[in-house]
Formats: sequence, structure tokens, C-alpha cells
Amino acid sequence: MMMLEGTGVTMNFGGLVAVDHADFKVGQGEIVGLIGPNGAGKTTLFNLISGAQTPQEGTIRFKGEDITDLRPDQICRMGLARTFQTSKIFSEMTAFENVRLALIYGNPHRSFKFKEAEREVNQLMAQAGMLSDRNKAVKELSLASQRRLEIVRALATDAELLLLDEVMAGLTPSELTQSMELVMRLRDRGITVFMIEHVMQAIMEVCDRIIVFHFGQKIAEGPPDEVAGDPRVKAIYLGE
Amino acid sequence: MLISTLRAEKKERRALIYIVVTIVLLASAPSFISESLVITMITVLMYATLTLSWTMFSGPTRLVSLATAVLFGVGVYVSAVLRGSMPIELIVLIGGALAFILALAIGVLTLRLKGVYFILFTFGVTALVGNATLWWETHVTGTVGRHIEGASNSVVYLLMVIIFSLALLAAFILRNSAAGMALRGIGENQTAAEHIGIHVTRLKVLIFAGTAIFMGATGAVMATRWRYVDPSLAFDPLISFLPVVMAIFGGISRLYGPILGTIVLIVLREFLITEYPYVYLLIFGVTLIGVVLWLPGGLVEQAEKLIFRLKIEWIKLKMRWKRWRTA
Repeated sequence: MMMLEGTGVTMNFGGLVAVDHADFKVGQGEIVGLIGPNGAGKTTLFNLISGAQTPQEGTIRFKGEDITDLRPDQICRMGLARTFQTSKIFSEMTAFENVRLALIYGNPHRSFKFKEAEREVNQLMAQAGMLSDRNKAVKELSLASQRRLEIVRALATDAELLLLDEVMAGLTPSELTQSMELVMRLRDRGITVFMIEHVMQAIMEVCDRIIVFHFGQKIAEGPPDEVAGDPRVKAIYLGE
Repeated sequence: MLISTLRAEKKERRALIYIVVTIVLLASAPSFISESLVITMITVLMYATLTLSWTMFSGPTRLVSLATAVLFGVGVYVSAVLRGSMPIELIVLIGGALAFILALAIGVLTLRLKGVYFILFTFGVTALVGNATLWWETHVTGTVGRHIEGASNSVVYLLMVIIFSLALLAAFILRNSAAGMALRGIGENQTAAEHIGIHVTRLKVLIFAGTAIFMGATGAVMATRWRYVDPSLAFDPLISFLPVVMAIFGGISRLYGPILGTIVLIVLREFLITEYPYVYLLIFGVTLIGVVLWLPGGLVEQAEKLIFRLKIEWIKLKMRWKRWRTA
């Protein structure tokens, strides 16, 4: 059974086709990269998967169940969580409060009392090496820490599949290494990752498989080395 | 780390103690304050309840509701229609229940709307229901206004204390609960809130309707104090605007902010009406503009700055005293 499977997924905005009959699959335990030039429809595809928008055509299945028309909160509680390209952390709460809210509302397997969620949140933050940021206001956190916090918040919902939308953009080399390690560790914990990324180093080293989008269509798919050598992909990125 | 949580809980306990003391003082007040002060207190309690209820929903979600007057007015008309046929307590409950149902309907229709559209719709509903009531009264009932059998000041006061106390407790519980935190999340970023598993529409509608109970109940009580109502009194748009002003004036960052704002503004208004009846609205308006321009955090922020400064002065004084003694 596939973790995530889309068939013929289509989304138009007025006359503009953002996602054009896209077929895609993500297997259990895989790390799959989604790349393509700006405006290729990558984030729109994530929005369709997470329920932020509903596709006009096609179906999306998660763990075999049709989630095409479900709301984001329903999809989240099924075990599919995401981060956003422009960070959507609750900036007037502390890091701790961000994670606790996700734990209480997003985690379908256990119900946590508001007051008792503390230990679980500490554990999640410690696993991501964020315990020292626990009581900081989000505004005080570095960009890298904010991105990391958004991942921890998504994990707090007990996600089996994580959609990461450019979590590595703008990081320093050492932060990038840490971030890549974090993604690898997610897989070790049995979490499937589907990630949009422009940082090619990360994509090539971390991903098992890459899907290339261009003008809303999937134009290539395969292992990193193979995709990097694909003449069409080269043409898009380097010009004809 | 442990200390910080313990302190947080201590803070909550202290807040709860303040709330209980407030309620006890309010309930026993008629035995030691004058009749005229009781009447002023009724007005303060009415607006404090409306402001507090408004803040419970609109504070964290940042969705400015102007439906307060219609939810209040429904309570007023429940009282106008049912008064005399059943005990006043039951009328108050029905007023609250009907306001809950109306708010539920408004919520389902509007809570998908954002920002200014939500404000306009809630304002529109008030005008619509007010005018529909006016039409009904003139065309079907045949009178514009209705006389209502009054209740004594002590009964009205006691009922208002009960409703206010319940609203205060509800606001306290909401503030310290997961639902309150989720509302804040929705206010900050609705998309993010949805994506961490919060059923945004359901939560917003339920809290909006829940706070309407206090507004409807307040309307039902106040009708027996007014003894005469017509649609322009019951659905007066000022009843929607004043709670917003009072909440912002007091500061919505703290539980006591809206209450403080209400007390100061009502007292100021009463003072101005008696001392400067001709220019009272002018002074009142200028004061409000000044507050919005120069006190964006409300009275609460100023009060807390002042307390902080006093604490520092106190410590300085103690140190000076010590030095003086040792010298």
C-alpha cells in the first residue's frame, strides 16, 4: 500500500493551470523530493494534499483512503502533517505553546490534558535539540530554529507522512547539515517525508527519489542521479 | 523549568482568588452601598458583562463582532414578550438560549468571512433584526414600544451579579484552556491552526454562540430595569460599539482589562453627563480618540508599567533605609 497516491490531480486558478493531471506516489518510509522552477505548482500540490485547497479533478489517497475532499484538520488527524514555505508559526506564543497546541489537537491516538501535555512536549523538543528554546517567544528564535520548530510542531500531531515545504532555504551551511540530519532521523523513526526543496545538495543527499515538476506537470521521476542526468531536467534548469 | 510552571499555576490560583473576592464583594455590596450607587453598578455590570463576553471571542480570534446589540436585543424582547407569564429567572435563561441559537446561525453563515467582511455582516444582522422587529411591531402588533413590568433594583442587581460572575468564570476558564489557546492560534494564523488538527469553524461557532448566552441573558434582565423598550432601544448600535471601545480602552491582554475599561468609561460618562450635559459627548469622543492614539495597549499596559515602577521605587527605598541604618 502506498502512503500517498495522487491520480490525475488538477487545479486551475482562473485560466492558469497550476497542477495539470499530476500522478504521484510516495511509498512508506521513503524520502521523496519535489523539485521544479518557481511557479511550477509545487506548493499548490502540497496545498491540495494537505486540504488547504480542493482539486477540481483527480483523487488523492492517503494510506489507501480518499482524502481529496477532507478538511485540513481531518487530514492532519489521519497522520499527515506539513510545514509552510513562509513559516506559519504562532509568533505570539512561546515555542512550547506552539508544540503543545499541535499535540493536543492534532494527535488522534492519545488525548492529552492541557496541563499534562508538558512532558510529552519536552520530549519532542529534546529530540529535535530545541529544549533550550522552549520558553522563548518565537520572535526571539533564529530562522533555522523557527523552521525546526515548525517541523517539531508537525511531528507533535503524530504524523506518519510529513510534507516539508522548503525548510532548508536560507540556512547557513552548518544549519543545513543539521536540518538534513533531522530529516534522515525522521525516516529512521519510520516517518515518510515528501519535501519541496531548492537546495540541490540536500535533495541529492537525502532523497531516495525525486519528482520534477514543470508548468504543473510531472516531467521526470527517479533516483537523484538519474534525474540529475535527465536531459529535460537539465534543459529546465540550465536552458536549452 | 519546573519553577516556571509552578509559578504559572500560582499565578492562575492568585487570579482565581481575585475573581472569588470580586464576586463576594459584588454580591454583598447592596448591604453597604447606597441605592444610587447600586443603580450605577447595574449599568457597569451590564456593560462589563457585554464587554467581557465580546472579548472572550473577539479578543483571541481578532474577529471584531458588531453583533452584540442584536444578541442583547433578543434577550430584551424575550423579556418584553414573556414577562408576567413566568418567573424572571426562567425568562433570563430563555433569553440566553435564544441568543445562543441566533449566534449559532450567524456563526454558521459568517465565520468563513474574514476581517472587514465579518464586521460588516455582524453589523448588518443587527440592523436587519432591528428593522424586522420594528416592522413586526408596527404592522402586526400595532405598537412601536412595549411596557414591561419592572423588577426591583435589588433583584436586577443580583441577577446581573450572577450573570457577570458566570461570564467572568467562563472567561477565566477559557483563557487557561486548550480551547482558548486554539482560539488564539486561529486569530494568529487560521491556516496553521487548521493544519495542526483544529476544527476551526466548529470551535469559532461554539465559542461565539457560547458567549452570546451572557449577552442575551443581560438583555433579558435589563429590560425589566428599563420598563419600556422599542426596537431602537433594544437594538441600539451603540450597544455593539461600546463593548469594543471599552475592551480596547481597558486592554484585552489581561482578563481584568475589559472590566477596568468598562468601569472607567461608565464612571467618566456618568460624571460628564451630570457635570457637562451639553458637551459630554464631545469630551467623551475626544477621550476615546486619545486612548486609541496614545494608549494602544490600553489601561492595563499603563497600570502594569506603573506597578512595575512602584515596585522598583519600593526596593530602592528599602535599600536606602538599610544603608541609612548601617551608616
